[in-house]
Amino acid sequence: MTGDAAAVPPTGLVPAAEPRDVRTMLRRGLEELQRHATGGTGGARAGVTSDLSADETLLLHGAGWEAVDLVSGVSIVSVPWGVWNWGAGEITAASTAHNDAFAKAAQRLESECERAGGKGVVGVRLESDVGPHRVDVELVGTAARPVSASARSRRGGGPGRVFVSDLSARDFSLLGQAGWAPVGLAFGASFVYAPRRSAGTTLRQTSQNVELTNFTEAMYAARESAMERMQRSAIAMGAQGIVGVGVTEGPMPFARHAVGFRAWGTAVRLVAGEHRSIAPRVVLPLDDAVLQFAAEALRGTPRGGAR
Amino acid sequence: MPDLGPGEPGGRPAAGEGVPEVAARRLGSSSFSSGLSVPDFAACLQVGLRPVALVQGFCVMQWGWYGVGSPYVRGVSPFAGGSGWSGYNESWRCPHGYVVGSGDHRVWGQNYEQTWVEAAWAQGFGTAYARLVDEARDAGAHGVVGVVDSVRHLAEQSVTEFHLTGTAVVAEDLDGPPGGPPFTTYLAGQRLVKLVEAGMVPVSIVASMASVRVWASCVTELLTRGQSSVWGQYVGGEIEQLARAHMAARDLAREHVRRLLATDQLFGAQMGTSYREVGEGDEVVECTLKGTRVRRFQEFEPLPAPVPTVTLA
Repeated sequence: MTGDAAAVPPTGLVPAAEPRDVRTMLRRGLEELQRHATGGTGGARAGVTSDLSADETLLLHGAGWEAVDLVSGVSIVSVPWGVWNWGAGEITAASTAHNDAFAKAAQRLESECERAGGKGVVGVRLESDVGPHRVDVELVGTAARPVSASARSRRGGGPGRVFVSDLSARDFSLLGQAGWAPVGLAFGASFVYAPRRSAGTTLRQTSQNVELTNFTEAMYAARESAMERMQRSAIAMGAQGIVGVGVTEGPMPFARHAVGFRAWGTAVRLVAGEHRSIAPRVVLPLDDAVLQFAAEALRGTPRGGAR
Repeated sequence: MPDLGPGEPGGRPAAGEGVPEVAARRLGSSSFSSGLSVPDFAACLQVGLRPVALVQGFCVMQWGWYGVGSPYVRGVSPFAGGSGWSGYNESWRCPHGYVVGSGDHRVWGQNYEQTWVEAAWAQGFGTAYARLVDEARDAGAHGVVGVVDSVRHLAEQSVTEFHLTGTAVVAEDLDGPPGGPPFTTYLAGQRLVKLVEAGMVPVSIVASMASVRVWASCVTELLTRGQSSVWGQYVGGEIEQLARAHMAARDLAREHVRRLLATDQLFGAQMGTSYREVGEGDEVVECTLKGTRVRRFQEFEPLPAPVPTVTLA
């Protein structure tokens, strides 16, 4: 065993924190509640709303941040009549509508965060709905502010700008440990026509196993435009990369000859001198998988047996 | 809470008259009932919360309104001067002055808060909640944990059932019977334990609903039809009236909840929004926000630095 290895506790023996006496804590809390039935002192945290779990609240606090308010941003942009009809190439009006709707929703989310006194929004949930004549985009998350000096110094975002991130508090904390900070939510969408096959081609392919290259190519075209827009938006924010990229793709339910591709993720940049390895410990659980009780076993007949 | 008339044994309870007689007999029996999962049950016992009864509250509400803003009377005309509306209200006027004479052209549109729908929702939820708390109080509980709520439409849009259920618990370490109203929380088991570990105790569940009605202006109506220009005049882009209505519904829901929080915080918030089209460009946008109102009884204790692990399985 090398000297370095000796400094690391054996696998699975992570030093645990002193267990807290939760029972006594609960009694104290409930006594406090009975003493002040109408309301507590509240202090600076009065009226705070958050959709984070207890784990996330603690992790966020461990990273030097605290929740401020639940914030949202919505935009609904019209899609002109006729754009989903048969055609060729990108459906520019629909792509522009979706990208505009996202940009406006994100802008409103940032404004709400600033109004609440936050410096960033974590755990943002993105919901969007594309219809024949409108695109709805909704962003909901928890605005947070740094409470420690170290968190303030590497808070991400641009100068004077708040950041928006769809990372959970756990991912946010891990990212911080590794020396990175979120700067914003990057997004790109594209809709492309799958061009009609000629009557002759359609007839010829009826009895063949054949790739429908018009659909494949449309999907590739949509993918390329959407990914490029997402990356371009990340670069515009001063990011070095995007983490946790999510994509959705497929034909539009109301226009099967048009395919859509959307990509989004949290744009990040390095705020430490260099990437720091978080060096995870390897844990080997010793407990067996739980065996399920099978009621049929009591009948004495093997399941599926022919006896 | 409204006057609901006298209660009958086994039937719905009257306001302020406690729980139905048969329910009181059941709650007073020596056995306990609990809606908690086995892990949640074990975690509650570990911190001294002993389940005593599964408690519930129901209320079915119908709402109707035939005044200004109802489905029968279209808002308050912005041309009349002064909205006369106490809730959120915004108006849009037609930018095409030369078509004012046309009967089909909507020369004004309006977003307004449906305060009567919100009031009915709050009354329904509040009544079901009060009945849940009455049952818990009757069982001698200090609190109700693991509350589950459901709000669903019965038969038609304007008839709604509110149902709350939870597990009443006695705090074994507290001296004497409960003094004030029992605490209530959506949390149970380990999630509740973690909340306490973070230095917070639950006060009560809170929930609110905001409802905004959109009477489309001509521009909104045209845009939702996919028409981006009117007689050469470009009106495309964002459907501002709808976007404002959706933002307003969320703002109002937050504002209502904030009023219920006083100096406390909202924890584990869940925001849900839905809209339904009731005509070309016309919509009803509804936003519900609920969570557990919590009070901090001690400051955060710094967490030990979490250790990242990788599990070999």
